[in-house]
Amino acid sequence: MLRRWRARLTSLFRRGRLERELDAELQFHIDMLAAQNVSQGMTPDEARRAALRAFGAVDMVKTDVRDAWMSRFFEVFAQDVRYGVRSLRRTPGFTLAVVGTMALGIGANSAVFSVVNGVLLRQLPYADGDRLAVMRQARPFAGIRDISFSALDIADYRRSRSLSDVVEYHNMWFILLGRNEPERVSTEVVSANFFDVLGIRPLYGRTFVASDDRPGAPAVLVLSHAYWQRSFGGDPTVVGRVFRMNDRPHTVIGVMPPMPDYPQAVDVYMPTAACPFRSSPHMANDRAMRMSGAIVRVRNDVDLRKAEADLALTAGSLVSAYPTKYPTDTMETRLTPLKDELTARARPTLLILLATTTFVLLIVCASIANLLVARIVGREREFALRAALGAGRARLIRQMLTESLLLAAAGGAAGLALADVSLDGLVSFAGRLTPRAAEATIDVRVLLFTLGLTIFTGLTFGIIPALGTRRDTASSLKDAGRSTERRHFVRSSLIVAQVAISFMLLIAAGLTLRSVFKLQELDPGFRVDNILTMRVALNFTKYQDAKIGQFWRTFEHGLVALPGVIDAAGGGTFPLNSTKLFNTTFVRENHPLAPGEIAPRVDVHVATPGYFRTIGQPLVEGRTFTDTDGVGDREVVVINQSMKRHFWPDVDPLGRRISGDDGKTWATIIGVVQDARQQLATAPADQVYVPLAENGPMLTMNWLVHTNLPPPVMERQIKALMRTIDPDQPVDEFRTMDEVRGESLQAPRTAATLLGIFALLALIITAAGLAGVIAYWVNQRTQEFGVRMALGAPRTGVVSLVLRQGVQFVVIGLAIGLAGALVLTRWIASLLFEVQPTDALTFLGVSAVMLTVAVLACLIPARRAAAVDPIVALRAL
Amino acid sequence: MPPKSDILQGTLDLLILRTLQRGPMHGWGISQRIQQLSEDVLQVNQGSLYPALHRLEQQGLVEAEWGSSENNRQAKFYQLTRDGRKHLADETRNWERISTAVARVIAG
Repeated sequence: MLRRWRARLTSLFRRGRLERELDAELQFHIDMLAAQNVSQGMTPDEARRAALRAFGAVDMVKTDVRDAWMSRFFEVFAQDVRYGVRSLRRTPGFTLAVVGTMALGIGANSAVFSVVNGVLLRQLPYADGDRLAVMRQARPFAGIRDISFSALDIADYRRSRSLSDVVEYHNMWFILLGRNEPERVSTEVVSANFFDVLGIRPLYGRTFVASDDRPGAPAVLVLSHAYWQRSFGGDPTVVGRVFRMNDRPHTVIGVMPPMPDYPQAVDVYMPTAACPFRSSPHMANDRAMRMSGAIVRVRNDVDLRKAEADLALTAGSLVSAYPTKYPTDTMETRLTPLKDELTARARPTLLILLATTTFVLLIVCASIANLLVARIVGREREFALRAALGAGRARLIRQMLTESLLLAAAGGAAGLALADVSLDGLVSFAGRLTPRAAEATIDVRVLLFTLGLTIFTGLTFGIIPALGTRRDTASSLKDAGRSTERRHFVRSSLIVAQVAISFMLLIAAGLTLRSVFKLQELDPGFRVDNILTMRVALNFTKYQDAKIGQFWRTFEHGLVALPGVIDAAGGGTFPLNSTKLFNTTFVRENHPLAPGEIAPRVDVHVATPGYFRTIGQPLVEGRTFTDTDGVGDREVVVINQSMKRHFWPDVDPLGRRISGDDGKTWATIIGVVQDARQQLATAPADQVYVPLAENGPMLTMNWLVHTNLPPPVMERQIKALMRTIDPDQPVDEFRTMDEVRGESLQAPRTAATLLGIFALLALIITAAGLAGVIAYWVNQRTQEFGVRMALGAPRTGVVSLVLRQGVQFVVIGLAIGLAGALVLTRWIASLLFEVQPTDALTFLGVSAVMLTVAVLACLIPARRAAAVDPIVALRAL
Repeated sequence: MPPKSDILQGTLDLLILRTLQRGPMHGWGISQRIQQLSEDVLQVNQGSLYPALHRLEQQGLVEAEWGSSENNRQAKFYQLTRDGRKHLADETRNWERISTAVARVIAG
């Protein structure tokens, strides 16, 4: 029987053998014809030719035979499908359960895969994107990985043989006038070749040409797609409009198509010649004035490492040609493929999510297989009857497979719909990790992936129950539902596997959730509530030198005087904000560097005197700034505890002096403040606070207001204040410190939530499966329970018997899951914060949850077992 | 020699099944046997014979096995299945009914 079944499968999957057999069969016929001809007196040669003639076109015969194979296959298939649909419609509950479970499994996988596909698999949306790289200068021995380029550096690198193009860029905030309100726009200042090197064609108008980037050329702008949509409602007639920026007219010449926010999310693009900052003679001609980043296109015939070696020569020649302008230690030039630059941060999280959804799908397969096994039990007589009427085992198995594939097709379609609905949320999550997130769509590859998954799922949960059916179908007519050991084993194994996988998923979710809780409960070292933050970027052309400091003083006094304001202060940035602190080397007085010693580094934080009071960062010793600090030549700084610990662990740092310019000027340490975290998940670095007055003019500042008033009220007052100072000056990015903190928690929180949802899904499916298996087990033993109780066994004894059976599965599953989790959780270490991948508390907690859920799931069938009426059960014997 | 007739599709199936009632036989043998029994009136075209055999096999009315032919060569032998036998009985009855009816009409 089994041999025949295998032969049938062969006919489906191994056409090659079938074809060879057909050849042999027809050849035999022709040979016989020839032999007949010989016996009638022809020579063998004549006989063969005559036979071939008589036989006719062999290929045509073969084609007809193949048609016979195929038409029959489709006929049976159509019959199976009709029959399958009918039988599934008879059991809507079952069908719904399977399609629903599967939709969740497929939906989760397809949605996550869409993002993986858009971010990690798809080509960059640039022309020939794999030749693009980000170029950085580094001083490896000083631990500096990113020294910006001066305009002259860029010109030198453009001469490199390995690079076909170099794009220069930097980001500025400018104020755009000509719309209803003055608008602060994030501006990418780029060399004119930016769009051509990346291969971006404009949606409307044109992009930059070389003449736009000549000194004195009329200023032009290209709008980013997002800004065009947001501020101009997608109106194409914006091309040609003129706005005032930096005291001169700027003409919009084009609009970008949607593109990844790289180098960053910006509103407008401007050629370097139009940037007043970049085109000033000072910036353009001094090698020490480093302000730009660089994207390069590596020549097609040069690989990345070779190009780096070549660029190292350029760097070396720069250092030796201009010793005063470049660091004396080694300077390297490094290339990072643009693709890595865009996706490296998202990769681990996305892969973890994909692995998670794969596990969920395995549970879904196991659970549906279990449902199907149970269904077969119910249909045993039906199958037996059909077998008796002449349907072979192969046909019955094919029927079951067809039903499985029908279910899978419905589940797959529903899953795809689910993926489509949930994709937006997933994309906005991925957007926190990579600028490519918006490229995630359901494309052909995702469709193929879903199709493959659907077929895999259908075959998996279709074949497992088929394996559980008995060889001798006919005998089940006599004793349907008795000898079910084999099937019970299949079901038990499935449930154990489900428990094991659920356990691993719950552990992963538990670990990440604990990390998020730790992050949430973390004391960042400053006040989080009742603080409103905002940003003010001054107009470069309007405010210069002394006018800048004057503006900030006016603004600060205005803020403090507003009703409801307890304290107000400004800073270069503030904790948890995305703007990074300026990092620099420094030396200590009377502490010269030993030969070969690398100068220590510190983060520099510019602050107004009220800063520590406003943000609630406690002073540990000494004093904070006063209004007179930093005015004149007496320079002072405040350091944080971390810096004290590192450099003055045993002595009082107050009164000691440090220098950030190799000893040209010295600043005295006047106070030590408590550490504040700049990023939640990162331990506080060494920080030095410098008074604004001492630092020199700053065009962009962040301001903090400590107030009990509702943020919108405060915001209105502050905007009104700004109008009285300078009506053309915007103040924006109002956020409470609590929101800022929430945003910095968003990515880990979403990752943990997604893992949590998937794990919960797995737990529910598993619990339902467990309840089903135990209920079936109880059904099989109704009579046994009746006898036990008739012989005096208490009902609680029956309950505990059932529970023991259920717990047994769970304990085996837990043991396997535990081993798996210990191996696998190290892969999610990148998502964890202050939690070990083998965190005992999580493992214990998850085990407890798992056992509790298992007991609850078994309790339902256990109570039914206890409710068995001994008399009824015995009578049924 | 009277002209040879081609055989209608459904009739060919019936003839094949009937031929196989005597026992397993390969395609060549079947065509020879039909020709022989019909005293050369019915000519079995290979172009219809093999597709028909494979169709019957797919329908489960005949099954095939490789075996040694009378001249000691490997040949594919077809034989009736249980379904095939039943089908043959049904079709034979049907054929008799129709051919009697046709004969009556023509005689009438």
